[in-house]
Amino acid sequence: MKPGPFAFVKTTTFRLALVYSILFALFSAGLLAYLFQATVGAMRVDAKTRLESEFQTLAVAWNTGGPTRLEQSLLERSLVRVRDFTYQFEAADGQIIVGDMPRMPVEPLSEYSVPRPVTFEVERPISDGSPLITTIEGRIVRLGDDSVLLVGIKMDERIRQVSRVTRAVATAAPIGFILALLGGFFSARYAARRAEALTRTAEAVEAGDLSTRAPVIGSGDEFDRLAERLNAMLAKVETLMAATKQAGDSIAHDLRSPLSRLRNRLEAKLRGPIDEVTARDTLGETVEEVDRVLATFNAILRLSRVNEGAEGKMMRLDLSELAEEMAELFEPACEEAGLTFTSDIERGLEIRGDRALLAQAIANLLDNAVKYTPPGESITFRAFRHDGRVAITVEDTGPGIPEKDLERVKTRFVRLDDARTQAGSGLGLAMVEAVAQLHGGELILATGKEGRGLRTTVSFPRDK
Amino acid sequence: MRVLVIEDDREHAEFIEKVLGEAGHDVETIEDGVGGLTRAREDQFDALVVDRMLPEKPGLQLVEEFRNGGGTTPALFLSALSDVDNRVEGLKVGADDYLAKPFAPEELVARVEALGRRQTNSEPPVTKLKVGDLEMDLLSRKVTRGDTRIDLQPREFKLLEYLMRHAGQTVTRTMLLEKVWNYHFDPQTNVIDVHISRLRAKIDKEFESQLLQTVRGAGYCLQA
Repeated sequence: MKPGPFAFVKTTTFRLALVYSILFALFSAGLLAYLFQATVGAMRVDAKTRLESEFQTLAVAWNTGGPTRLEQSLLERSLVRVRDFTYQFEAADGQIIVGDMPRMPVEPLSEYSVPRPVTFEVERPISDGSPLITTIEGRIVRLGDDSVLLVGIKMDERIRQVSRVTRAVATAAPIGFILALLGGFFSARYAARRAEALTRTAEAVEAGDLSTRAPVIGSGDEFDRLAERLNAMLAKVETLMAATKQAGDSIAHDLRSPLSRLRNRLEAKLRGPIDEVTARDTLGETVEEVDRVLATFNAILRLSRVNEGAEGKMMRLDLSELAEEMAELFEPACEEAGLTFTSDIERGLEIRGDRALLAQAIANLLDNAVKYTPPGESITFRAFRHDGRVAITVEDTGPGIPEKDLERVKTRFVRLDDARTQAGSGLGLAMVEAVAQLHGGELILATGKEGRGLRTTVSFPRDK
Repeated sequence: MRVLVIEDDREHAEFIEKVLGEAGHDVETIEDGVGGLTRAREDQFDALVVDRMLPEKPGLQLVEEFRNGGGTTPALFLSALSDVDNRVEGLKVGADDYLAKPFAPEELVARVEALGRRQTNSEPPVTKLKVGDLEMDLLSRKVTRGDTRIDLQPREFKLLEYLMRHAGQTVTRTMLLEKVWNYHFDPQTNVIDVHISRLRAKIDKEFESQLLQTVRGAGYCLQA
């Protein structure tokens, strides 16, 4: 399925972004509502408080001095007028005693001394002739002598501020929502693209291309970390697959020839006359040959398991002790072969390793030395510290290996011409190298000190 | 010895039966794990030979259950899995030995016989071993043959001790490398033979009768 340009709409990331935008919008709305309440509400409360106190002051004037005192107070106030307030004091017959307005704009309650809160608008012409509408909040009360007092506070300035805030709120909310949605949209598209790149990598791997790697853009974010982990996993899988394939190839190539040889030999014998003696000989040879094939087969399997790192129980071990034991095991065989065997093993060489595999590797090196060194020569086996590492060397004074073949003999099944007559699978040094690598070490082949012989060295990192 | 072989591959089972039968043992074969466990429990065998991959109940589980149920019959695992880890796994669940397929018939016979001997040997703790006029004192670590004192290196002592404990039985080179040196690899050179010949020089050379025999194609046998 080819993803369209809007495929990201289906992604979880996009949905999350949408939800986030909506939440953001709701949050903004809530915040603005609170702001509105806090500013406008506070203004209203403030106006109301002032109105209330003004009204109370006038009530005191009425109570202490009646209409005369009230009128006086109002007149005084009109002179030093607090700008916000407006007053209207009418006698029972509707005559204006003190007043800003031509007539009383609202009717009071019929009961006495019960103030009624009122809101009304006053229209006044201003200089250019257009009417100015002023909103006024006030208290109106019918006084004891049936006169009526109205005290109002102009809300104009306040209302303007309120409407400004309201407009700001109304404008900002949709902009915020759109920005949040856009942000979500772009981050969703970015995330979708990064995820899409990972999906494509997985698809390529699924299609059989193990060498594909997920792009790492270097941002160090979760996508990069995921891509890095994915790549590390792919690298490991690729190594394992290669090892398995190599094992399969080795089995196919290198067991096929001895098996074919075996088959041909049996067939040749079948064609000739068979008596008890030849039959017995042939069967005996066959068993030997099959044993060799099986041994090779086992060696291949073991080697590939070591190569893929599947085998190996690493623990801290005393390599000196192991080397001593191997020296003791091989020394008689060397002497029997007419070789001078010298071992020089430093004490207390500790490494992290697998005892069985290390023993196998050392045995392979010593085996080789015993097999390929002519009588009268010598073998030196050493274990020592070197440059912060631990090294094991087996050096012989035999014919050695030509420089050009030194690297090649480590490869599986490579046997130099001289060695073909000797028993062996051709896997010995490959095994040593695999074991060395499993321990983070290496196998080095070199010509001996005096320009002859072979020196094999396996060096390991030391256990700290 | 009465040996119970639990092995599902018929051809393999017949081969084992034939090999052990020729060596003079009484063999019974069961082809699946569940039946094998039942048989092992209801009858007193001298040794069990168990394949690791069995239908119904894998060999590992079989031996583990047998041991948990109090079964003491020594058991030997046969397996195509020959890695050291597999071997350790096998010994951990209570098997006494582990033999990788393919194996030489002599190797199987030698190991099965070693199992039978192990059981009878382990009961009274021995302090002296004796084969003909060859004597070994495990406490003072002295070895004598007739009136002659024989000096042995520590490893030679261990090697001789193993041979004496399995006197009359054939022991193979790999068995010696495993039991005496505790290594599980296949030496390509004759390392073991040379150790044997050194030992032979000490215990047999000066004497009329030769105790340490080479069994062609199989290994060695110490016998009076």
